[in-house]
Amino acid sequence: MRKIKIIFLILLFLIVGGLLHYALPQHDIVRVTSTEVIRTDFTWINRRFYAQADSGGAELVTRDLRLINTEKKLTFLFGFVPRDSTKVMVYRNEDTGWIWPPYFKFDSSDLQAESAAEISVSGTEQWAVMTHYGWRNKYLSIYPNAIGIRSVDGPDVRIIPWFNIFFFVFLVVAFLFLRAVWRQFRERTIDPAMQDMGDSLGSVGDAVAEKRGRFRRWIDTWRS
Amino acid sequence: MGLVRLVFFGFIGLSVIYFLISIYSRSVRREKLEDRWGQDNPDGGDPTAREAFIDEGMARYNTGIRPKLILLVYVIPTILVVAIHILTTYY
Repeated sequence: MRKIKIIFLILLFLIVGGLLHYALPQHDIVRVTSTEVIRTDFTWINRRFYAQADSGGAELVTRDLRLINTEKKLTFLFGFVPRDSTKVMVYRNEDTGWIWPPYFKFDSSDLQAESAAEISVSGTEQWAVMTHYGWRNKYLSIYPNAIGIRSVDGPDVRIIPWFNIFFFVFLVVAFLFLRAVWRQFRERTIDPAMQDMGDSLGSVGDAVAEKRGRFRRWIDTWRS
Repeated sequence: MGLVRLVFFGFIGLSVIYFLISIYSRSVRREKLEDRWGQDNPDGGDPTAREAFIDEGMARYNTGIRPKLILLVYVIPTILVVAIHILTTYY
C-alpha cells in the first residue's frame, strides 16, 4: 500500500511538473540567425504539441509554420545557472489564440518581423531574450513556441522570471486555501455526520462499533 | 469561437470557485460566532438565544462587504486575461 502510494505520488509529481515545464514561460538568451516558413503535416502524435492555425484562419490538415532559427546560450537548472557554450535552437511561432496554453497570443506575424529585425551575423553579434514555452524534440519534430523577443545589450543579462514567481506563490496559496476548505468541511460537515451515525449504531452492538472503528481508521489514512 | 469557449468554460470554472469560497467563508464566520457565544456562555446558555445570536451575526455578515468581495473571483481572472493578452500581443 505504501509503495503504491509512493509510486502514485512520484507519477503525479512527474505529470504535473512536466505540464508546468511545458506550459510556463521560459527565457532564453539567443542570437537570431534566420527566420523561415515551412509547410507542416501533423500526425496524431505531434499534433498536440502544436497550437492552431493563425487566429481568424481556417484549420486545415496541412499548413505553413513560422520558424525562428537561433543560437542560444546554454544554461543549467532551468536557466538559473549560465554557461559559456551555445547551441542551435529552433522556435516555432504560432498563435495560441484564446485556448491552451493561455498566452492569448495573436501577433505571430509581428513577432516574426521583430525576430527578423534581430537577425545577427557572426562578428557583430546581437543578443536578444526570447520568451517561449514548450519543448524541442527532434524525433517528434516539435518546437517551443516563441511568445516574445526583446533585444539586450549583451549575453550576460540577469533575467528575473516574475511571472513564474507569482505563479508558484499563487499555487502555494491556492493549495493552502483548498486544504483549509477541506478541513473546515470535514470538521463541520463530515465529522458531525459520522458522530450521528456512530451514535445511532452504538446501540446495535460492539461488532458494529468495531466496524466503524475500522472505517474511521480508513478515513484517517486520507488525513495524512 | 475560441473566445466564446473561453468565456463559457471560464465562467463555469470561476463559479465553482466562487461557491466554494462563499460556503467556506460563511462556515468560518458561523464557527467564529459559535466560539464567541461559547466564550461568553461557558455553560452553553439558552439554545434559543444562541440561535438568535448566530442568526443575527450571519445576517450582519450577509449584508457586509465580505460576500461582495468574493465577486472579485470573477473580476481578477478577467483582468489577468486582458493583461496577459495585451502584454503578449502589444509589447
